[in-house]
Amino acid sequence: MGYSALSLMGHAFRGNTQWPTLIAAPDMRTIYDIVIIGGGGHGLATAHYLAKIYGLTNIAVCEAGWIGGGNTARNTTIVRSDYLLNGSFALKHFALKLWEDLTQDLDFNIMYEPRGYIDLAHSDGELEQFELRANAMRLRGADAQILDRSALKARIPLLSLDMDKRFPVSGALFQPAGGVVRHDAVAWGFARKASQAGIHIFQNCPVTGFDISDGVLQGVQTAKGHITCKQALISVAGESSAVAGLAGINLPLNSINVQACVTEPVKPALDAVVNYNVGLSYLSQTAKGEFVLGGATDGYASFARRGSFERIEDVLARAVQMFPFLSRLRLMRHWSGTADITADGNAIVGQTPVSGLMINSGWGYAGFKATPAVGHQLAELLATGILPDLIAPFALDRFALGAEQDDAGIGPYPWLH
Amino acid sequence: MSRFSIGGLIDRDKTLTFTFDGVTMQGHPGDMLASALLANDRHFVARSLKYHRPRGIMSAGLEEPSALVTVTDAFGSMPNLKVTEVPLRDGMQVSSQNAHPSLERDRAAVFGLGSKMLSAGFYYKTFKWPKTGWAKTYAPLIRRAAGHGGIDPEPDRALYDKRRMACDVLVVGSGAAGLSAALIAAQSGATTVLLEQDHALGGALLGSMEQIEGMSAVDWVQDARAALSQLSNVTLKTRTLAFGQYDHCLIQAVEAPDEMTTKAILWKIRARRIILASGAIERPVVFAGNDRPGVMLASAVRLYIRRFSVGLGKCAVVAVSDVEERNDTVAALNEAGTKVVAVLDSDVQLVKTKGRHHLKMVIWRDSKGRRHRTPCDLLAMSNGWSPTAHLFAHMGHSLRFDVRTHSLLPSDSDGPLYPVGGARGVRDLVGCLQDGKAVAHHVMAELEMHKHLNLPRAMPTPAPTKRFQSATQTGFVDLQNDVTRADIAQAQAEGYDDVELTKRYTTLGMGTDQGKTSWTNGILEIAAFGNQTAGNVGHTTYRPPYSPVSIGALVGAEVDTEMIPIHRTPFHTDFARLGCVFQTSGHWLYSRYFPQADETMTEAVTRECKAVRQSLGCVDMSTLGKIDVQGPDALTFLSRMYCNAFAKLPIGRVRYALMLREDGYVFDDGTIARLAKDHFLITATTANAASVWRYMQKCAQIDWPDLDVTLTSVRDHWASLAIAGPNARDLLAALDPDFDIGRDAFPFAAVRQGHLGALPVRVFSVSFSGELSFEINTPAGFATALFDRVLDAGAKWNIVPYGLETLDILRIEKGHISVGTEIDGRRTPHDLGLDQLVSSQKHYVGRAMLERPNLKAQGRAHFVGLRSEDGHSPIPPAAHLCEAGMDSQGMAQTCGYLTAAVHSPTLDQPIALGFLDNGHARMGETLWAHSPVAGKSVRVRVGPVCAYDPRGDRLHA
Amino acid sequence: MLLIPCPYCGLRDESEFVYGGPARALPDMDAQTPEAQHSLYRPINPRGPLRELWYHSGGCECWITLTRNTITHEFEDDLS
Repeated sequence: MGYSALSLMGHAFRGNTQWPTLIAAPDMRTIYDIVIIGGGGHGLATAHYLAKIYGLTNIAVCEAGWIGGGNTARNTTIVRSDYLLNGSFALKHFALKLWEDLTQDLDFNIMYEPRGYIDLAHSDGELEQFELRANAMRLRGADAQILDRSALKARIPLLSLDMDKRFPVSGALFQPAGGVVRHDAVAWGFARKASQAGIHIFQNCPVTGFDISDGVLQGVQTAKGHITCKQALISVAGESSAVAGLAGINLPLNSINVQACVTEPVKPALDAVVNYNVGLSYLSQTAKGEFVLGGATDGYASFARRGSFERIEDVLARAVQMFPFLSRLRLMRHWSGTADITADGNAIVGQTPVSGLMINSGWGYAGFKATPAVGHQLAELLATGILPDLIAPFALDRFALGAEQDDAGIGPYPWLH
Repeated sequence: MSRFSIGGLIDRDKTLTFTFDGVTMQGHPGDMLASALLANDRHFVARSLKYHRPRGIMSAGLEEPSALVTVTDAFGSMPNLKVTEVPLRDGMQVSSQNAHPSLERDRAAVFGLGSKMLSAGFYYKTFKWPKTGWAKTYAPLIRRAAGHGGIDPEPDRALYDKRRMACDVLVVGSGAAGLSAALIAAQSGATTVLLEQDHALGGALLGSMEQIEGMSAVDWVQDARAALSQLSNVTLKTRTLAFGQYDHCLIQAVEAPDEMTTKAILWKIRARRIILASGAIERPVVFAGNDRPGVMLASAVRLYIRRFSVGLGKCAVVAVSDVEERNDTVAALNEAGTKVVAVLDSDVQLVKTKGRHHLKMVIWRDSKGRRHRTPCDLLAMSNGWSPTAHLFAHMGHSLRFDVRTHSLLPSDSDGPLYPVGGARGVRDLVGCLQDGKAVAHHVMAELEMHKHLNLPRAMPTPAPTKRFQSATQTGFVDLQNDVTRADIAQAQAEGYDDVELTKRYTTLGMGTDQGKTSWTNGILEIAAFGNQTAGNVGHTTYRPPYSPVSIGALVGAEVDTEMIPIHRTPFHTDFARLGCVFQTSGHWLYSRYFPQADETMTEAVTRECKAVRQSLGCVDMSTLGKIDVQGPDALTFLSRMYCNAFAKLPIGRVRYALMLREDGYVFDDGTIARLAKDHFLITATTANAASVWRYMQKCAQIDWPDLDVTLTSVRDHWASLAIAGPNARDLLAALDPDFDIGRDAFPFAAVRQGHLGALPVRVFSVSFSGELSFEINTPAGFATALFDRVLDAGAKWNIVPYGLETLDILRIEKGHISVGTEIDGRRTPHDLGLDQLVSSQKHYVGRAMLERPNLKAQGRAHFVGLRSEDGHSPIPPAAHLCEAGMDSQGMAQTCGYLTAAVHSPTLDQPIALGFLDNGHARMGETLWAHSPVAGKSVRVRVGPVCAYDPRGDRLHA
Repeated sequence: MLLIPCPYCGLRDESEFVYGGPARALPDMDAQTPEAQHSLYRPINPRGPLRELWYHSGGCECWITLTRNTITHEFEDDLS
C-alpha cells in the first residue's frame, strides 16, 4: 500500500503497528547480476533506476552500516547547479530536474524545496566571475540571476549589507531552483522503492574482497557470504580507497573531514540557501527551524569523523557576518563526514581497469546534490554497457590524459579543494 | 509564593524582580530562573514542539527537555533557554514560546488530538501532491508551526571573547568526585583547573542531607572551595560549561561570567590529564501523561526543596525505583511540608496522569492489578540514572550498556580522560569521594608529580533489580520532540531498526536537550520493541557540544572588520590622505582609484589611464611577493622552479618568468632579477605570494636538500612604487639617482641598486602597464619619503597616483595575464600564448606532465583578444562566446568566454580578453558575445590579445 | 585542534601550520611523463599511519615530515 494522507489515517486507526517495513529482509542469494557496494544515496539511486528504467532487479546492495549512514546522513542537504565548467554543470542540472519529480517518483516525500541558492560576492571583480557562471547556466538552459545589493535586501531582509564589514557584500548569484532536500528521506525513498521492485538490500554487510581473474570481475565477498556477479559498483565515498584497493584499483584521492553544524531550532527567519565566499560558510534553515551550516574541509587527511572545531568557528564567524542575529542563537550539535577528494576536486565515475567493476567516488563534499543524476547515469552504464555522456568527463583515466575537471583550478592537492 | 522563610542557598536580603509573560515576579540571588518561577507557583511554562502540550519544569539541570523560554535582557533576547540553566538576574523578561495567542490558550494544541496521524515520519508519507505542494504550501505551514522561540533580528550588542589555558589536570564537575579529585591534584602541586557549569559548586551535594567528614555536604563543599581558592596553582571557574573533548587533550568550555561586561567566553584548555566528574542524569518513568506540569524528577524535587527552599506542591506521589532515593525524596517532601499521599515502588505500574494545565491525579496499578486514582499536584519520579560520559565519548570511545547498573557506561579508560564517580556509574557518596581521590592519585603518578598510592577505585553501583514498566504506548520518551513509545515501536515495525535510523525517523534525542533524559529510555524501548538486548542496540554518536553553546562566544571578538587582520601597504596612510578609495583584495586593502573632487569611478579611472599613457602615473606594487634567493645553487634552483630559460641572464638584468604547477598548468608569473652571480630577487603575484613562497621552501627543504640555496621572503621589507608613463625616465632623473639612468645604461628589464638622493633603493625597469616604467623599491620605513618625493618631483609632469582599476585596464589594453582571470589553474603556457617562455633545453617542475595528451591537443581554449565588430558597441563583461545567436529559450552553444571587458580609454573603444576554443587559429572571425544576465548580445571580432603598442616600443622610450 | 610536534619548536597548535599533504617526493627532474604521473597521482590514503608534510608558517618556517594516524590523529613522532 502506498503512502498517503489516507493511509496515514488508516494506520493511525490501527495504532500504527501494521505499516510495511521500509525495506524487505531477504536471504542473500549466491548469484546476482549486479552488486552495488554502498547503500548511500548514490548506490540506492543506482539500484532504483536499474529497476525502474531497465527492469533489472536481480541486484544486491551491500551496505557496511545502515542505509544512508555515510555522507548522505551528514551533508547540509543543499542542491544547486551553479558551475562554470560544463561537466559539473550538466550532471547537477540533470539532477535538479530529477529532484523536482522525485517525491512522486518514489511515493516518498523527499521534501525538495527550491528556496533559491544565493552565492554572495565580496567584490565587484568576484561578482563579474559570478556573472560569468550565471551566463553559462543561462545559455545552457538553467535559470540564474545576478542580484545587486538592493535585490538581495529585498530577498533576504535579515542579511547584513553593512559596508563596515571585513568583506562587504557587493551582490550575489541567485539560482531559483537551488534549495534543500531532506537528506535521510532520499536514502530511505530510493531504498524503499528499490526493495519494492525486488532488489535486495543488506545492511551491516561490508564487502571484504573481490574475485577477479584475468582482469575480469567474477564475484564479490561479503560479510554475509560470497556473491557471484558479472558487474559490481563501488559507491562508498570516504572508504573508496580501501574498497577499491581490495580490487587493486588506485584512486588519486584523499579522505578528509568536512565539518557541519546545526543551531537550536527557531521560528522561520531565512528562506534561502546562502553561501559566504571568503573562507566558505553556507547555511539554510530546516523545516524544523534549525540553521544548518557547513564549510570547507579540515584540510588534512582523516578518517576520524570528528575533528577540527576551528573550522566550525570559522563557519560560524562568517555566518554571523551575514546574519548578525545568529550570535544570539546557540550551537546545538556539530559533526563531520569523511569526504573523498580527488586530485582535481571532482568525482571519479565510470569504468575501472577491472572489467565489470565500476567506480563512483571522489564526490568530496559535493555529492548529495548529484545523487539522482549519478544513480540514473550509472544505471545506464551498468544496464547497457555504454558510457553515458553526463558521466563521461569523470572517467578515472582523465588524470593520465590531462583532462582534469578542476572547477576551482586548485590542482592536484586534494586537501586544498 | 512557595518560598520558605528559612534555608536554602539563596540570599533573602536581596530581591530580584523579573517578569514571566508580563507578570512581575520576584526571586533572590542564588536562584535559577526555574527555582524562581516555581517559588512563584509557576510550573506550566512551555508548550511542546509538535503537539503543543502543556509542559512544566521536569528537572533542575541542563537535561531539562521541556521548559524552554525566551529571555530578554539588556543585550536583546535569546530563545530556547532552559529555565533550569539560567541564573536569575534582576530585570529579566521571560516569555513563553511556541504558543499562540497565549500559553494557556494555544490554538495549536489541537495538534495533540491528531497525534496518531502525526506519528513518526508522517511527513515522509504525505504532502506529496500536487508536485509543488510541499515547497509552496505544506513546508511553509510546517515551518511556521515548528521551531521553538523566535529570533531577535536586532544586532547583538554583547561582547564575547576567546581565551586559552593550559594545565596539568582539568577537572570537569564539582560534585563529590570532582571536588575530591581537584583537592588531591591541587594539593600535589599540579596546575589544576576546575570547571563547574552551575553558578555554585557542589553538584548533587547541594540537594543532599548526607554528612562528609563529620559535616553537612554543603559545608564540606564550602570548605573545599575555600581550600582550593587559597592555592595559587588552582583556577576555579563556575558557570563554565565544558562542552567537548577534542584532539590532543583539548577541552573547550564556554563561560558565562557573572559580571555583564563580557557575555560569554570560549575557553580552549589544553590539559595533560582530564578528570570527568560530570555526574549522572536521572531517568523519567515512561508512561501516559508523564509530561504534565507537576511531574518532576525526584532528584530535582529534592534539590528545589533543599537548595532553593521552594515548595513544589501540596500533596505528592513519590514513584522512585531506588529505595534510598525514594526515602530521601519522602524526607525532602516532609521537610517542605508537602503531604506525601502515596509512595510507590517499582512493583506498581504507573498508568497515567490527569490534569489540564497541571497535574491533578496519578492513576496507577498495584502489584495485584488493582487500579488506584490518587489526587495530587506533584509526582516525584525516578527510574534510575544515566552516567554523563559525553566528553569521554566525543573522542570516538563508545559506551556499552551495562546490565548491572542498567545504563550506558564508559569503558575503563587508560587516559588521558578519566570518567569518575557518577559519570562511571558510581551512585553512593562514599564511592564518589573515593573514586575521585583514587583517580587523582593515579593521574598524579602518571604525571610523575606524586608517588603512586594505588588507591582502589569505587565500583559502579548496581541498579535496583526492578524498574517501573510502561503500561501503554502513549508515554513520552523524548519530551522535547514529543516522541512516544508508539513512535519507537512504529520505527521498529517499519524497519528503521538501527539505533541511528530510529533516531532520524522519530527525531528521538535530536532536540536542544540532546536527549539527556530520553536516550537510555529510548535504547531500552528500541530493545524491547525490536526484540534485542539493550547491549546490541548500541547508541548513536555523542556529538559536541554537550549542551548548546552561545554562537557569539564561538565567534568571539573577531567580528566585522576584525574578522581577519587587514593587510595594509606602507603607502596606505599617504594614499588615504589623498582621498584614495580602497578595496579589499584578498587580505589586502588595496588602492582602487583616487577620485578628485566629485569624480565618479569611471571618470577618475579614465583620467588616471590617460595620465599614464600620456605623461606619468605612480602605483603601489608593494603587495607583490618578493623572495630573495642566494647561494651557489641559486641559479639551478630557480631554473628548476621556472619554465623559462635564463641561465644566461646577466647580472643587473630582469626577466619575465612563468612557474608551472607539478601537473603542468600555469601556477604564477613574475620576474626574476639577477642582483649578483649567486643572488636573485624574484617576484610573485599578490594572490599567490604566500603559496609561491611555501612551495619554493618545500622544494628547497624537502625535495632538493642537496642544493645550496637560501630563501628569504622580503616582501614586507620593501615599499614598492612603480612610476609609469612617457616621462618616467625624466622623473627618475629628477629624483637625484646616484647611478646612470640613461636609456642605454639602464634599459628595459634591468635592475639597479643605489640611492635616489638619500633614499636607498633598488629600481627595476619592468612594466605591467606597457609604458616606460620603473619600479622603485625602498625599505618599507621610507615609503612616505619616497611617495612625497615622487609626487613633488612628478608635479612637473602632472603625475597622478593610480590604483587597481587603472592597473587592470592598462594590463587589459596590453593583453597581460592576471591571476584569477586568465591564470585560473587550468591553462598551459601554450593556451596563454606564452610558448616562447617555455624552454625545451632544461628540466623544470611540471615539464613531464605538460606532455600529457590533452595538454598537447589541438583545439584547446586559447587566450585571445576581442573588439566589438562595429568598433563602438560596449562588450558586456562576463559574456560567453558563441557562434550563433540565442535560441527561443535563450540558450546557445558556447565556444568560450570573456575574462575581461572594458572600454579602453586609450583607444576609446570597447576591448575584451577571453578564452576561445582553438582561438589561435580563429583570428579575424566574428562571434557573438552573449550575456543573458545583462540582456546584451554583441558581435565581436577575434584578434591578438595586445590591443595597444603590440611591438612594445613604448617600453624602451 | 591538533597539537603538532614540530621537531624545531616543540608542541604547537595546528593553527600555526599549513598542511602539505602526504609526503610525496617530486619526481626526478628528468623523469618521463609516466613516472611523473605515478609520483603525483599514486594514491596515499591509508587508514592508519600516514607520513605527511606540514609547513610551520607561524613558527620556524620549516617543512617537517611527521607520521600521524588518520583514524586517531595521534602523531607517532616523539619529540624527546
